[in-house]
Amino acid sequence: MTEDVVIGNIDVLVIGGGLAGTFAAIKAKEAGAANVVQVDKASVGRSGCSAFGAGVMRTFFPREDDREKTVRECVLRTHFLCDQERLGQHLDDCYDRIKEMDAFGVEFEKTPDGSFERILARGTSRRVMFKGGYKMMEAMRKAAIKKGVKIVDRVMVVDLLTDNSRAAGAIGFSTENGQAYEFIARSVVLAAGGGWMKGRRPGHRNITGDSMATAYRAGVTLAGLDSAGANTGPAIYDIGPGNNMYMGAGAILVNSDGKRFAEIYDEALKEKTELGILNVACAIEARRGKTPLYLDMTHIEPEKVQRMKRVIPLPMMMYERAGVVVGDKFVKRIEWVIEGPHCNGGLLLNNRYETTLPGLFTCGDAMPNVGPEGQIALPGAMTSGARAGKYAAEYAGEVAPPKISSEQDGALRERMFAPMKRKDGIEPDQVLLSLQEAIVPYDVLILRHEKRLSKALQEVESIWSDQVPLLYAYDPHYLRMAHEASNIVLVARMMLKSALYRQESRVCLREDYPYLDNAGWVKLVTLKREGERMSLGEAPVSLERSKLKPQPEKLLHPLWQSAEKQGIIRIEEGSVKWV
Amino acid sequence: MGVRKIDVSACIGCGTCVEYCPMDVLKMDGQSQKAFIKYLGDCQDCFLCERVCPNSAIRCIPVYEKRIPLPW
Repeated sequence: MTEDVVIGNIDVLVIGGGLAGTFAAIKAKEAGAANVVQVDKASVGRSGCSAFGAGVMRTFFPREDDREKTVRECVLRTHFLCDQERLGQHLDDCYDRIKEMDAFGVEFEKTPDGSFERILARGTSRRVMFKGGYKMMEAMRKAAIKKGVKIVDRVMVVDLLTDNSRAAGAIGFSTENGQAYEFIARSVVLAAGGGWMKGRRPGHRNITGDSMATAYRAGVTLAGLDSAGANTGPAIYDIGPGNNMYMGAGAILVNSDGKRFAEIYDEALKEKTELGILNVACAIEARRGKTPLYLDMTHIEPEKVQRMKRVIPLPMMMYERAGVVVGDKFVKRIEWVIEGPHCNGGLLLNNRYETTLPGLFTCGDAMPNVGPEGQIALPGAMTSGARAGKYAAEYAGEVAPPKISSEQDGALRERMFAPMKRKDGIEPDQVLLSLQEAIVPYDVLILRHEKRLSKALQEVESIWSDQVPLLYAYDPHYLRMAHEASNIVLVARMMLKSALYRQESRVCLREDYPYLDNAGWVKLVTLKREGERMSLGEAPVSLERSKLKPQPEKLLHPLWQSAEKQGIIRIEEGSVKWV
Repeated sequence: MGVRKIDVSACIGCGTCVEYCPMDVLKMDGQSQKAFIKYLGDCQDCFLCERVCPNSAIRCIPVYEKRIPLPW
């Protein structure tokens, strides 16, 4: 082990190197923060979801799009859980951020007159296209460096430092040489992404719930962990992402009988429906015994395939390598599955992107992702990151430098290096596989029932108590893998407990509580650490200044209604019965 | 998963792949000053190294090498 590195006198420390974190760092500099440091466990711009984005991004252009319609669709789609004030901020900012990215050198697809070319893909919002996520992030990294952001690559932040209940920095280690790093900062932006489970999703296997786990350990309140998402992708090829481009180009999804089924749940959009609906559609086909499912793109025109090659170059290389794409044609159907689950929760925040820990801000997928516009994926990362960075810089300008106690520092270091100090133990891969066996089946977190959630929780709790304390790392690389595995298991525990807490169907479907209860459940499920105990609670969704308000009624969830109409289910004694 | 080979005769030792790899899979060999695959099991199959290599020395394949349970 070599000497420790202490980086002090930081105004804004940004943890995470995706689009949200990079925008936060850039905007913190622009807001006047003198010393902005951005740290990533991989390297800024090549990490997280952003570099592997599917080349398209939902956008709202005030002169071209209908604001009222956009708000309405977003609110109804999230069944009133999305924060309408933050949604408004996103719609205010979206176009300006795209223009800035253009100025930073991000290569967007443009029309001959130089305007942003926009297409419909999934959903009803039009999207801009850029030439590959990694190229987009390369331009963002260069922009951050040009603005004077100090970048620290290959350092995994493990815990936050606090000073009298205020964020004061972070502690981490170099994955290259094991050096301990201590960052002392007036304010911190936690932008280390959401909670994927190292599932079937190339390019996303380093998004391991670090934001939520780190915040939880520091006593920060989390929210929305009851909501699990998933993406869809190939069963036998390790290829992704690209769904938006595939569906936008006209891909169709069929079951083992060769029948399309997405239209049962969204008659208008069919396979172009929102991802949450598509996941449920696939899961119900599995419950009906109609698997394998296939994505068919063999009919897609060569010019659309050529566009895919420009916009999602990495997945298209992979399809060519697998013999699925030959020239400009998809030559075979692809067996298709749900990839996931991943956690849609995040840090509870106010409309200045500040969490319940003063001085700690958050953005991007580290926020609770309860809205397709502005609170999820690249568009949300872009606008929330920019605001979080600005507000963090303003906060830093008002507070004194923090002090870190040596007791706090010592205890955190001991925990951080514990896997390397053990003489033997359990491999991170073993812990991950045990966890995936417990939570990947579609009928745990996508189609839910108390019995199955409880059984999975019991399994995950035993992984947490029996395996995680024995995680073993040979070297700093495996130390990262050990902390990632530990964070994933912690996030899975939080997801399952939160999922059991919400006794209705809303963003996710319960078989035992199939009703959408707008009288009792238009609220977020929260979770925080109290000693060694997880404390669950509720936070209201701010509707006072919102235009759209729910009727206080309880009705069968619309997706269950669709299934009932088709004779797939019936409701008996308040529960779903499969026909 | 994914990164299959680095052709040492084509590798110019620029370190670009090592710098880009999000999963810390690739390292530079101190003696030969060429990149090598150190942690294959943690490769996330993103193909980024192949794409950014300036001399086409890297080849990836889209094949799962770790068992990941299927959802059904």
